[in-house]
Amino acid sequence: MAKSKSLGPDTMGTRFYKWLDERLALSTMAGFLSKKTVPQHKHSHWYYWGGITLTFLIVQFITGILLLIYYKPGPDAFESVRFITYELEFGWFIRGLHHWSANLMLLALFIHMFSVFFMRAYRRPREFGWWTGVLLLLITLGFAFSGYLLPFDELSYFATKIGLDVAESLPLIGPALAAIARGGTDVTYLTIQRFFTLHIIVLPLIILGILTIHLVLILKHGNASPPSEEAKPKNKRKEIKFFWDFFVKDITMWLLALNFLILVTILFPPQLGSPADPLAPAPEGIHPEWYFMSQYQFLKIFGNILPGAIGEFISIGLMACALLLWAIVPLIDNTGKAGKRAKAATYIGLLSIVILVVLTAWAYLAI
Amino acid sequence: MNYPVWVVPVIGSGWVIGIIAIIHILISHFAVGGGIYLAFAERKARKENRKDWLEIIQKHSRFFLYLTIVAGAMTGVAIWFSIALSSPEATSALIHNFVLGWASEWTFFIIEITAIIVYYYTWNRVSAKKHEAVGWIYAISAWMSLFIINGILTFMLDPGKGWLSVAGTGAEPSKFWEAFFNPTYFPSLLMRTLVCITLAGLFAMVTASRINEEKEPKLKEQIVKWSAKWLMPAFALIPVAALWYYLMLPQANKDLFKLGVSTIGQGIFTQLTRNAVFLIFASIILFFIAYVFLWRHPKSVKLSHALLIILLAFSIIGVTEHMREMMRKPYVIGNYMYSNGIRKFDAEKFNSEGYLRNTIWTTEESKTTWHIQDTMTSEESDNLSSPIQPDLYRGELMFRGQCIACHTTNGYRSISKLLKGRDEASIRSIIDMLHEYKEDSPYRKFMPPLVGTKGEVDALIKYLDSLINKIDQ
Ligand code: HEC
Ligand code: HEM
Repeated sequence: MAKSKSLGPDTMGTRFYKWLDERLALSTMAGFLSKKTVPQHKHSHWYYWGGITLTFLIVQFITGILLLIYYKPGPDAFESVRFITYELEFGWFIRGLHHWSANLMLLALFIHMFSVFFMRAYRRPREFGWWTGVLLLLITLGFAFSGYLLPFDELSYFATKIGLDVAESLPLIGPALAAIARGGTDVTYLTIQRFFTLHIIVLPLIILGILTIHLVLILKHGNASPPSEEAKPKNKRKEIKFFWDFFVKDITMWLLALNFLILVTILFPPQLGSPADPLAPAPEGIHPEWYFMSQYQFLKIFGNILPGAIGEFISIGLMACALLLWAIVPLIDNTGKAGKRAKAATYIGLLSIVILVVLTAWAYLAI
Repeated sequence: MNYPVWVVPVIGSGWVIGIIAIIHILISHFAVGGGIYLAFAERKARKENRKDWLEIIQKHSRFFLYLTIVAGAMTGVAIWFSIALSSPEATSALIHNFVLGWASEWTFFIIEITAIIVYYYTWNRVSAKKHEAVGWIYAISAWMSLFIINGILTFMLDPGKGWLSVAGTGAEPSKFWEAFFNPTYFPSLLMRTLVCITLAGLFAMVTASRINEEKEPKLKEQIVKWSAKWLMPAFALIPVAALWYYLMLPQANKDLFKLGVSTIGQGIFTQLTRNAVFLIFASIILFFIAYVFLWRHPKSVKLSHALLIILLAFSIIGVTEHMREMMRKPYVIGNYMYSNGIRKFDAEKFNSEGYLRNTIWTTEESKTTWHIQDTMTSEESDNLSSPIQPDLYRGELMFRGQCIACHTTNGYRSISKLLKGRDEASIRSIIDMLHEYKEDSPYRKFMPPLVGTKGEVDALIKYLDSLINKIDQ
């Protein structure tokens, strides 16, 4: 970075840089970025997780576009994914990357979100970072749900059917919502077409917009220090330059994440089940992917206590409240200081983790 | 012929060896490369009269001593235990063929271990010259132990034509050198040496990363960069070595790489292709990290980074070794002994005389009963009051004897999963294919023939059917 200031002799390269700089304000940006710093302390490694999530998103974009070359929504969906997996050269690899990167992206996203939460990085002035983050989580879950149907094998068919049945039980809007999503009363290739549009056009556009805001806000406000650091006097706190001291570590983590992604992909390439058959009974022990397991178990428990539409309505309502509570944490813990409110937030965080983990484990044990 | 007593559930005996071996390989290659590193580093530091650096080298040699002598030696012995249990026949064949090899291997081990202990305990106690000499003794003897074990390992992949022509005649020792310097010997030696040197550089980061970058920034930068240079030979030459190695492989092994290009279908052997894909990407990633991070920003390297990068190297080594194992399929010793311990030239005999009959772990009584059943004419068996049922016990012994080298019932390469959904007739058609082992059978690429009499094959089918379709009997 330092090089950009002392541009040295008048070579082709420097003249080209000057030409660009005059038009694109490169050195202003470089100047801004070169001043950026990152707090350094024993929790600094949590700062990597946002970037790791982004890495997996980029992998999703690239592999998703490659899959699009052969994927056919509609009646040929299953056959096209079968072709990609079992005939196309290295098709299994691209599909495997997309499949595993979706899972790892969600995993990284959860880690990122909780680490941000416990560093209390949602506090003033970073509330909008938190809110855009919650939206990004929802969109990513939307990606995962809509993508899961696309291969249209037995599992994806029943997972989507069950998911939409839940939506249908919402009062007033439920049936209409489910009908719009399905394109009728059943999950058919019309549903694929709709989910495909969501997965390929709508969600990517939305995620790009929100992600841009999310990232710009981070550039503006920088990484938050955790409370344990804030408690230290200013001269005891350490910072390192974002360029390049932090950024090389960032890149290293991204590359390691990629390496891990490729490793799981070649070890466990996803297969394809038998084609979806609405008339066949749901396969035994069918269950959603891990990131939907806790919600699924919650619905199941409530279904046992309060059978019928009421139970479903209340449980969905409770989950919506929980999500809302999660979103408004910055408004609860808003004093910026340690104290009752900060403690309340920490308890909310710990409780959320415990509930998510217990419900997920319970769900898996109950299969 | 293997003994059917060591049945490891879920992961299978192969992975018990695999896990131990992968750890051992990481450490043992470091033991070779690290020795060369110590010798060169000490020489350079002394030449430049660098007290600060010598201190670091001394620290590094302690880490080196503990890791290689304790963990390296323990995992090495563990490999012997596990291979002797899971593949006694192959282990015995290796011991008998390479008596001279093993004897010299162990001689080098002893020199190596003695030298490294002396090296560590004589820091600052003997003259610089002597200390450096001990370092070189270690480095050379460690590399010699690689030189020898490499002959035995590559022999298992492809013993070479000369040795195969006398295999089983008792004249094998006459072809010792041909077997030792087999076709893949040299490319493999080059590759392994490069890996050793790379690991030396990476493990040096463990010590170098702990230098305080605020107190001794210059020192840290110099040592990290100097150590990072040890990755250069591999980056330059590994592609060449890998290509050379590939070219020296027998055609049958080369073909295995193509099985997974266009599919990951069940029942098709695709691990080699998948592993190769990983290795290409992972090597590029390692190269990138080494350049951007270790080389360009040496002062930022912390212990946790060093360990993560070693983990990356570990994944590369694990996958490579897995690949070497997989490449031998269906043999444990190329073209001579199948993975289940059956010698290729015994197949005919077992088909006519019976497989279980030739084992030493079945009772005489069972052997006799089975023999009577198998040799009965159809007239005789029609006259029996109750028709003979192929028995499950016999089938299970067949399975354990011939299949568990590569399959488990319910875990890794699970036979239940592979046969899922098949009824008895359909199981029979697959098993018959394995038994007939025709020239164009797809299974020839990765499975040995199923050997035995018709009665034995029937018993195996019965057993598999009971496993898949849960028939109670
Ligand atoms: C040298 C190792 C090895 C041995 C020994 C071996 N197999 Fe296999 N077998 C394999 C491999 C590798 C596959 C490919 C499985 C995969 O990963 O999809 C396979 C696949 C199979 C399949 C699936 C074939 C298909 O078309 O779906 C069956 C059935 C099977 N083996 C049965 C057996 C039986 C029975 C024995 C014992 C007589 C046996 N195998 C011994 C390595 C072996
Ligand atoms: C713009 C970016 C994306 C594009 C173009 C895209 C495209 C596709 C396509 C064509 C498929 C069908 C092929 C198949 O099933 O393998 C698919 C499946 C899928 N997608 Fe995406 N996708 C994108 C982003 C994402 C994201 C961000 C996620 C979630 C984190 C995601 C999760 C999934 C899942 C879970 C499947 C099913 C995979 C399987 O069954 O193997 N996708 N995607």
